[in-house]
Amino acid sequence: MGIKIEDLTVTFKNQVTAINHVNLEIPKGIFGLLGENGAGKTTLMRVLTTVLSPTSGTVTLDGMLYSEGNFEKIRRKIGYLPQEIDLYPGLTVQECLEYMGDLSGIPKETCKKRIGYYLEETSLSNHRRKKMKQLSGGMKRRVGLIQALLHEPEFLIVDEPTTGLDPEERIRIRNLLVDFSEGRTVLFSTHVVEDLTATCNQLAVMKKGEFLYSGNMRELLEQAKGHIWTCRAEDEGAARELEKKYHVSSKQYAEDGLQIKLISETPPQIECSLCEATLEDAYIYITNKEL
Amino acid sequence: MIQEMKIALPIQKQAYAVFFVIILSLVRGVTYSGEIGIALEAPMAVLALTFCADTYTQEITSRRSEIWRLCPMKKRLHSIYRRIGIQELFLLSVAAAGYGMFFLFQNPGTAKTGAGVLESEISQFLVYVAAIAVTLVFWGLLSNLLSCLFRNMWVGIGGCLLLWLITNSSIGDRYFGAWNLFSYAFRELEDNKDLSWLYGKMVCICMGFIAAAVLPKIIEKRG
Repeated sequence: MGIKIEDLTVTFKNQVTAINHVNLEIPKGIFGLLGENGAGKTTLMRVLTTVLSPTSGTVTLDGMLYSEGNFEKIRRKIGYLPQEIDLYPGLTVQECLEYMGDLSGIPKETCKKRIGYYLEETSLSNHRRKKMKQLSGGMKRRVGLIQALLHEPEFLIVDEPTTGLDPEERIRIRNLLVDFSEGRTVLFSTHVVEDLTATCNQLAVMKKGEFLYSGNMRELLEQAKGHIWTCRAEDEGAARELEKKYHVSSKQYAEDGLQIKLISETPPQIECSLCEATLEDAYIYITNKEL
Repeated sequence: MIQEMKIALPIQKQAYAVFFVIILSLVRGVTYSGEIGIALEAPMAVLALTFCADTYTQEITSRRSEIWRLCPMKKRLHSIYRRIGIQELFLLSVAAAGYGMFFLFQNPGTAKTGAGVLESEISQFLVYVAAIAVTLVFWGLLSNLLSCLFRNMWVGIGGCLLLWLITNSSIGDRYFGAWNLFSYAFRELEDNKDLSWLYGKMVCICMGFIAAAVLPKIIEKRG
């Protein structure tokens, strides 16, 4: 069970194809969706939340087909945190969440308990009386996440949930999502590779409306194995020269210059050695291979 | 309910509605108290159509509509109707206060003198409140409906203004007569027994019912 996407295509009125005949199975647990800006991640999520109707193809949630007749039932199973959302600026955090809970049809007392729990989990308890317009971007993001979790959906879709969060909060939110994903499906879309490394084992990589990869993290790392090289550059100038010739996945200052990670199918024509691939390396490797 | 009051009636909206009526009662001259209703009906309609246009479209502009879409339809509609109700009640209070402001600032004459003047003025005020309530509800509902249909409050305001211009004109009065949406403002002041203006208000009520009935379909389809 989970989500099954078959031959899905979304073409907009201006003839731009945002999603091009894709197939994907999203099992229970956290599933990462990785891709550059404009890859089609948000369009896919808009289809999954029933906001957007696909041009062709089918989607099923726990065996239930996405169709007009099933939308009401499907929507009740979904929680969604969009990439951009401006929650009621004139309401306090508590009022805003109570309102969203009421809209979702959660009984008042249950709603209050859940709000208290999630505010605690996201370190927002002390800010519950603050108006939404007084919150920082990261705090607003956390309130947005709470509203998505409030009705305890079976399928949670979160689009860049860690944007604007400090490192400590980022970890807390990741842990919260991991706990929440038990027995549920969480689709975690991001372009921050580190978020996925810390939370999920299954992921898909999107580029230009297609999936370059879908499967588990280990197999993705396997694909990049043997193509990640490390070398040293004396200074920034030498590093720039390398960047012109190869895909550089990371650059770090060290005692004797710069330590550089290169991605290359064949051994680079410089002094270097093979190294272990991280998810970031594998992501860059796979997205730079020809489609 | 408190949340919906805060959402539907932010301080800036309350302020512009109150200032609108204060300024209107200062600049629009009336000689007799019977003219106050005429002076207020059409401008209050403009206030209602601008006031209610963002009842739901604010969810679209702040991208909350994608979350709203996931909520049960019944809850969404209750919330929208509650917001409309709150706004209409506020506007009705402002309209009633505006009537008093005309008295305060312009001290208009009364049609009757001597005994029974108070009763006559009170009944005139109550008729005004009933008529203006229908006007406010109609224009508020229509503006919200058009805004939801086109997912843009400016289209709602523009569409309503066009209808306002047509009906609040001598052409509208000549063409629609007692069936005009502004029949109360165009009624014969001297003839108290002429209640044919009620036809126009009946038209408003019927169209208001249709607008309220169509709204769920639009929200369901357009989200």
